[in-house]
Amino acid sequence: MPVIYPISSGKGGVGKSFIAASIGTLFAKLGKKVVLVDLDLGASNLHTLLGIKNPKNGLNSFLNQTVKKLDRVAVPTIVSNLFFINSLYCSMEIANLYHTQKLKIIRAITKLPFDYIILDLGAGSNFNTLDFFSTSQEGIIICTPEPTSIENCFRFIKAAYLRKLKQIIKRHAFNSAVKNTVFSPNKTKMEAPDIIDVVLKHDPDRENFLKNKLSEFKFKLIINQFRKNIDETLGDKIETVCNRHFYSNFQFLGNISYDERIPESVVSKNIYVNKYPYTTSSADLKKITEKIIKSRRLTSQASKVS
Amino acid sequence: MKSFAGLTYYDILNIPANSSFIEIKRAYRDVLAIYNDDSLATYALFPSDERDNLLKTIEGAFSTLIDKGKRVAYDRMLVRSGQVDKSILSREEKKKPIPLFHGKNLTKEDDLVGRVKRKYIEKKVKKLSKNILSKDLISGNDLEALRKAIGIEISEIHVVTKVSIAVLKAIENNQFEDLPSGFYLRNFLKSYSEILQIDSQKIIDGYLKNISHVQKNG
Ligand SMILES: Nc1ncnc2c1ncn2[C@@H]1O[C@H](COP(=O)(O)OP(=O)(O)OP(=O)(O)O)[C@@H](O)[C@H]1O
Ligand SMILES: [Mg+2]
Repeated sequence: MPVIYPISSGKGGVGKSFIAASIGTLFAKLGKKVVLVDLDLGASNLHTLLGIKNPKNGLNSFLNQTVKKLDRVAVPTIVSNLFFINSLYCSMEIANLYHTQKLKIIRAITKLPFDYIILDLGAGSNFNTLDFFSTSQEGIIICTPEPTSIENCFRFIKAAYLRKLKQIIKRHAFNSAVKNTVFSPNKTKMEAPDIIDVVLKHDPDRENFLKNKLSEFKFKLIINQFRKNIDETLGDKIETVCNRHFYSNFQFLGNISYDERIPESVVSKNIYVNKYPYTTSSADLKKITEKIIKSRRLTSQASKVS
Repeated sequence: MKSFAGLTYYDILNIPANSSFIEIKRAYRDVLAIYNDDSLATYALFPSDERDNLLKTIEGAFSTLIDKGKRVAYDRMLVRSGQVDKSILSREEKKKPIPLFHGKNLTKEDDLVGRVKRKYIEKKVKKLSKNILSKDLISGNDLEALRKAIGIEISEIHVVTKVSIAVLKAIENNQFEDLPSGFYLRNFLKSYSEILQIDSQKIIDGYLKNISHVQKNG
């Protein structure tokens, strides 16, 4: 079974594409078969980070049915084992995908014949991003250590959590009092705690089921563009507080140091972790990659046991 | 968002019920660093009235637990309402040998995992674990020191791992003659290390190496 790691953020420009390309490269170097999918529809630029100048067929060919299977448009990159699917010629309107197209993409992605599938998503809490983010239990959220970025990061977490919660209620047996309240058209403003209260009140037997389902979701958090003067335990604190106040699981994967050579290598179309394998930032990225692999091993062991 | 509802004051400060005065103070400082108005870690996470409530609860937890009399009364209340085992009331009494099935034996595995994990935020604990992993020979005393720094009881490890208390104690006390051999010992060490969230392979290697070292050198 492939693992899908959607990468998103509350705010734009925090380093999603850079991190997607970097951990994709590092996974591939460990011998995994990896595909990076650029799903930042309408603003895609992952190809540039991979040094690919003129990508041809991509998601567009799959959507307009020029190709039948999505893996046909996965092209090799200069890193062996690392493949790439672009969404470059998906027109701007497609940024607001139709529901059926979205389902088609999601279904095709989950069937891609790779070990690791990394989705570079757009920033913010729009429907597409949240839908793609929810295809996996293992979403990765990037933020930088600034108040605005953290504010948007929490906003994103809450939106993704709410989406998850609604999905659970929609897809499973909750009594009609719950379903009607949660999905009634004039109650659009319900937040996650309100929904949980509704379940506690109208379908209390399902409380544990709901909490268990929510706990299957494992948010992962990376702090990028980290600088020396910042509190090193910031990420741990966010992890602690989120684990306390949400029913889902949160794991802080690590900080990635700020390095001027990162934008510079984008400009020169080099893959940073290849060109500068021994910098602090590359070491940070390696540690994060190892942590992801380790937590995947633990998860798959745990699921085998249970 | 969950509030602190249903958590004990100890849970709120993230400490075991037998914490010392100093540990309570430190925990209070750490928790404030997370929930304070100017904390980046919770920037814009809580609406301000919610944050005020959380801070008030933290304040209440701290002022109760640092006051000896109030703490005893609070502990009694916890026991009466069945939230903790009555063994916490014996905290004031002089040190007894580690009681079997100490207070927390109802702790679920998940809670334990979370507690240990949170403890690793502390520099002291991180440092200790790093220190142990850097050793060539790992003794039971190292494991015991780490366990205590993390603040969990042998009985809690027993409840989750089902490894007998006698074996766990023998591991910590280096009573090698009381330990099973090979495969079983490895498995026990593995379970123990996993509870302490420390690299089990390194612990197994270092511990076995220490056994043969001690046995060779008498
Ligand atoms: N750790 C870092 N140190 C220095 N610069 C960085 C770091 N991470 C990313 N950058 C730079 O920040 C800029 C934004 O990065 P990137 O394009 O990966 O962000 P993004 O989140 O994908 O943005 P968008 O939301 O526009 O898709 C780039 O110029 C990149 O080189
Ligand atoms: Mg991007």
